[in-house]
Amino acid sequence: MLKSTTAHSETNSRFQKTMEVDPLIQDLTLQDFFQASREVSKQKISRPSLSYWKDAWLRLQRNRQAITSLGIIAGLTVFTLAGPLAWRLDPAFQDLTRISEPPTFAKSVLVLGEPEPFQELVSSEVPATPQLDAAATLKAPGLLQITGNPTTQSVRLQWSPSEGASGYVVYRSEEGPPGEDYLGVPIAEIEGGNRLSYEDRFNLEARRYHYAVTAKNGAESAGFSAIETTLAPAIRVADARKLTPDAEPGTRMTLPAHPLGTDYLGRDLLARLMEGARVSLFIGFVAPLLAMMIGILIGGVSGFAGGKVDHWLMRMTDFVLALPFLLFMILFKVAFGAGAGESGISAMLLAMVILSWTGSARLVRGQVLQLRDSEFVQASRLLGASWVYLLLRHLLPNTMGVILVSLTFAIPSAIFTEAFLSFIGMGVAPPTPSWGSMCNDGIQTFLTHPHEFLFPALFISMAVLAFNLLGDGLRDALDPKMRSVQ
Amino acid sequence: MLKYILTRLLSGILTVYFIATVTFAAMHLVPGDPITGNKATSPEIRANLERKYGLDRPVLVQYGIYLKNMVNGDFGISFTQQNRSVNDIIRSHFPISATLGIASILFATFGGIFFGALTGISRKKIYDRSIMFGVILAISVPSFVFAAVSQFFMTELNQKAGTTLLPVGGWGGLSHMILPAIVLGLGTLAFLTRLMRSSLLEVVNQDYIRTARAKGLSPTRIFFSHQLRNAVLPVITVLGPAIAAITTGGFVVESVFAIPGLGRYFVQAVQQLDYTVIMGLTVFYGAFLVFMVITVDIAYGLIDPRIKVSARSA
Amino acid sequence: MNSTDKPILEVRDLKVEFDTYGGTVQAVRGVHFALAKGKTLAIVGESGCGKSVTVQSLMGLIPSPPGRITSGSVRLNGREILGLSPKEANQVRGKQIGMIFQDPMTSLNPTMTLGRQITETIRVHDGVSDAEARKRAIELLEQVQIPEARTRVDQYPFQFSGGMRQRVMIAMSIACNPEILIADEPTTALDVTIQAQILDLLKTIQRDRRMSMILITHDLGVVARMADDVAVMYAGQIVEYGGVQQIFHRSAHPYTVGLRSAMPQNDEAQSKMLKPIEGSPPDLFDPPKGCAYFDRCPHAMKVCAARNPPLWDVQEDHLSRCWIHHKFATSSTEVFRSNRMGQEWEIQK
Repeated sequence: MLKSTTAHSETNSRFQKTMEVDPLIQDLTLQDFFQASREVSKQKISRPSLSYWKDAWLRLQRNRQAITSLGIIAGLTVFTLAGPLAWRLDPAFQDLTRISEPPTFAKSVLVLGEPEPFQELVSSEVPATPQLDAAATLKAPGLLQITGNPTTQSVRLQWSPSEGASGYVVYRSEEGPPGEDYLGVPIAEIEGGNRLSYEDRFNLEARRYHYAVTAKNGAESAGFSAIETTLAPAIRVADARKLTPDAEPGTRMTLPAHPLGTDYLGRDLLARLMEGARVSLFIGFVAPLLAMMIGILIGGVSGFAGGKVDHWLMRMTDFVLALPFLLFMILFKVAFGAGAGESGISAMLLAMVILSWTGSARLVRGQVLQLRDSEFVQASRLLGASWVYLLLRHLLPNTMGVILVSLTFAIPSAIFTEAFLSFIGMGVAPPTPSWGSMCNDGIQTFLTHPHEFLFPALFISMAVLAFNLLGDGLRDALDPKMRSVQ
Repeated sequence: MLKYILTRLLSGILTVYFIATVTFAAMHLVPGDPITGNKATSPEIRANLERKYGLDRPVLVQYGIYLKNMVNGDFGISFTQQNRSVNDIIRSHFPISATLGIASILFATFGGIFFGALTGISRKKIYDRSIMFGVILAISVPSFVFAAVSQFFMTELNQKAGTTLLPVGGWGGLSHMILPAIVLGLGTLAFLTRLMRSSLLEVVNQDYIRTARAKGLSPTRIFFSHQLRNAVLPVITVLGPAIAAITTGGFVVESVFAIPGLGRYFVQAVQQLDYTVIMGLTVFYGAFLVFMVITVDIAYGLIDPRIKVSARSA
Repeated sequence: MNSTDKPILEVRDLKVEFDTYGGTVQAVRGVHFALAKGKTLAIVGESGCGKSVTVQSLMGLIPSPPGRITSGSVRLNGREILGLSPKEANQVRGKQIGMIFQDPMTSLNPTMTLGRQITETIRVHDGVSDAEARKRAIELLEQVQIPEARTRVDQYPFQFSGGMRQRVMIAMSIACNPEILIADEPTTALDVTIQAQILDLLKTIQRDRRMSMILITHDLGVVARMADDVAVMYAGQIVEYGGVQQIFHRSAHPYTVGLRSAMPQNDEAQSKMLKPIEGSPPDLFDPPKGCAYFDRCPHAMKVCAARNPPLWDVQEDHLSRCWIHHKFATSSTEVFRSNRMGQEWEIQK
């Protein structure tokens, strides 16, 4: 708002004249031309000032990818640390009755006692090897039936003889009822026209099966007899007692769910992924952290001391940097070896730290050199600041950003390295699982049981992806040059 | 320029010497002597090994023998494979790895430059977004996953087509190479795409691009004669590490695709703890990579006038 | 400005905005000027006043997005050149208008020989053979006084010093004999000794080729040396516009007066203390309703805060955007009393 401070009287005479000449500014009055008082502050600061870290945090929050990644990382941490508390299956327990199972819910099964040995039905009424009457057409065996209780442990089949048969072929189908053109998979060929039964124990699942049987004598009969049955899930008492020691035959018990399936030794994949996460993430976090600490130390000393010390430390860094990383990871892993009963985690950590401190050493040295010569540090030094003060007040806060970013990128590459080594069998020693060694186990059966490979692969990819995206976000947030760019 | 090349070569030789020494030292750290361990069962092989490596002599003498062998280009003999020499192994398996590696690096380099340029110049956000998503995915997923999954899908496709569109394993013609070369190059391609993109974005904002526009050049001309060349330079500088990544990546990809290359052989040697082969191949690979890096550096010097000319006058 | 000459370039009511992180910046807020044939117009102002943006928008060099020309007209020999198709615009750039930039260290492509950078322009615009273009490039380098032009033509920018590079920039910008040369702070990044040489070179070339020139600078010394006409810019507007004599000796706008008192003058040996202009220019995210100079002006009146002043014709061909020229205004400053005779002057839209 305008406020008059001085009165001007002498220009009154010219006032009317101007009004006539300049219609555009007719509404202006003499008052408007009084001197303005300026109580308005001269400089307005357009944005409130923020501390470096607060500003970076605000910008990170605006980066949706980075925040999602942070969420995923938090989720993985909870999965690793708290997971085993919630999911109490023993990752090392081998349930050989449930090998390579795809994801399943908990299911109730019948506990069977020790099975009665299968008594084969051998008929005395028909000959084992009848004389083949060429004219006679071979008839289908009659009345295929199931004896006993069909369970996932065994299915017992029995049929009546076919005249002139010298043997029988049993078929099993998981698809529709058998027809002329498809009977199913032949599961047994029985030699002897008088042998009239068969016990199927091969890879049975709790589902519906169609069985068919044909007679044969040289050629197979065109006709067949068939039966459909749905198997009850069952477990033998000996196996049941491995899970619950007091299981009794004839009772029912609940088998644990395997939400991510089981592996080739019947171990629960979810529990193993949690256990493996510990190894993979432990290496992923600790190796870069240790390497970074050594790097900071060497780089800091090198940058501060300068001269000969700097020269030789950097020569050393150059040489270590010249070693091809993965190649020497393998070599060191072989050299440090893993004695019997050791997991090989510490050998891997050691190898990784020896080979990967160089990046951060160079980074820190460069930062220190740059900062050491910067005006504000020189000014501070002129004012008599001690080197401890310089280190704590100027150098550390100003290098924290780049160090943090490079640490964030070092984590996924350490996870990657662990996976790579474990995949070629140079990682942690079995039975200790890691995501990489689980992939190695899983790829053997990838075509038949893809879940054993895909789940650990998914976890590796997810963790690496999350750290990479977070690293990108952090770098953008911490780089002052990025401030003006959206 | 010659002086520059000589200096680089000299430092390369020094690096290889260092690599060989570290390898020797590492192998002698192995608890118990690996070579006299129970692996070498045949007395004939053992006798051969002892003669070759001077195992009964002091470590320093062994080191001398080892270095002398390396200088003569003798990388040693296997002790699990009937006295087969490492040189022999390299001769018969390395060409396969090299062929695959060259295919991969070409795929990765040209693909990376192409996609990077596409994201860098495209005004449409959707290209940029989708390519960058692909890039971050390709960087984050291990190559063995790509290998297994691509094998799986190719098998399915072959089954659907009723014929072998592309073989999913083994080694033979060009068709055997396509899938593994793509899988092997994918991570590097992603990395190069990213680099190319950021490099191009930086170049686009340079003053000399504004100068070119002020000269009245068409955008196409500006892109090809001013932006592309300057943006590709940083991509070339990382080709050395990219070759290293593809070489070591070959260990896994060759194993998954059952390609009889040196990488697969190296992995087998590692799994069987065939120490002499590990040693020989490590040094061989190390030397190979060091000289690849030098080759790339020299090639870069020939392309970037700032280095070429200053090196000439130096 | 001499009104009898038909201007070669006429700019009217040019407005340019930029979308940035913090909002929209109104970088140029209605600029008018005219450039006479063979004359030099200097545009003077402090950093961020919109002088570079003004000339870059004439050339169509505003990166878009984020930049945007919201209104205005630029006529070159009577032909409108804003909103030309990219192809037509490329025929104007480099051919009819040449441009030199501030930093010769970064304005040349580091990986291309100078020869190729110069011949490129010639070949695109004049369609001559490679050999012919090269011959012309060497001639041009000789004209800008580069020794051993014949060998230097195959060298790279990094083999040249800053001053030499700026000569090359000049050679490049005049390669196709443009009618207008725009020099955006051509000497700011150079050593003082080199500055004079480059300015002399520009002047010679301009005279020889009868080129018109727009010279952007914040250095009043350069203005005095080079300009025929001067436009003083402040906060995206021209605040004073006139012949170089008028601007220096009969400054009408308080900002120009302020600039002059902040400038060292070596002819006044007993020289008074330099007087800086207090404060800083207004935030162009949200330009003030009234005069942009209000906060810093020693003569601020009530009306200044409320309304942006029009351009007043304070003398013949001498305009000033200040309320002090209004008849009501009775400044205590004698300088302004004499100029305060005015008729209001607005360029017709």
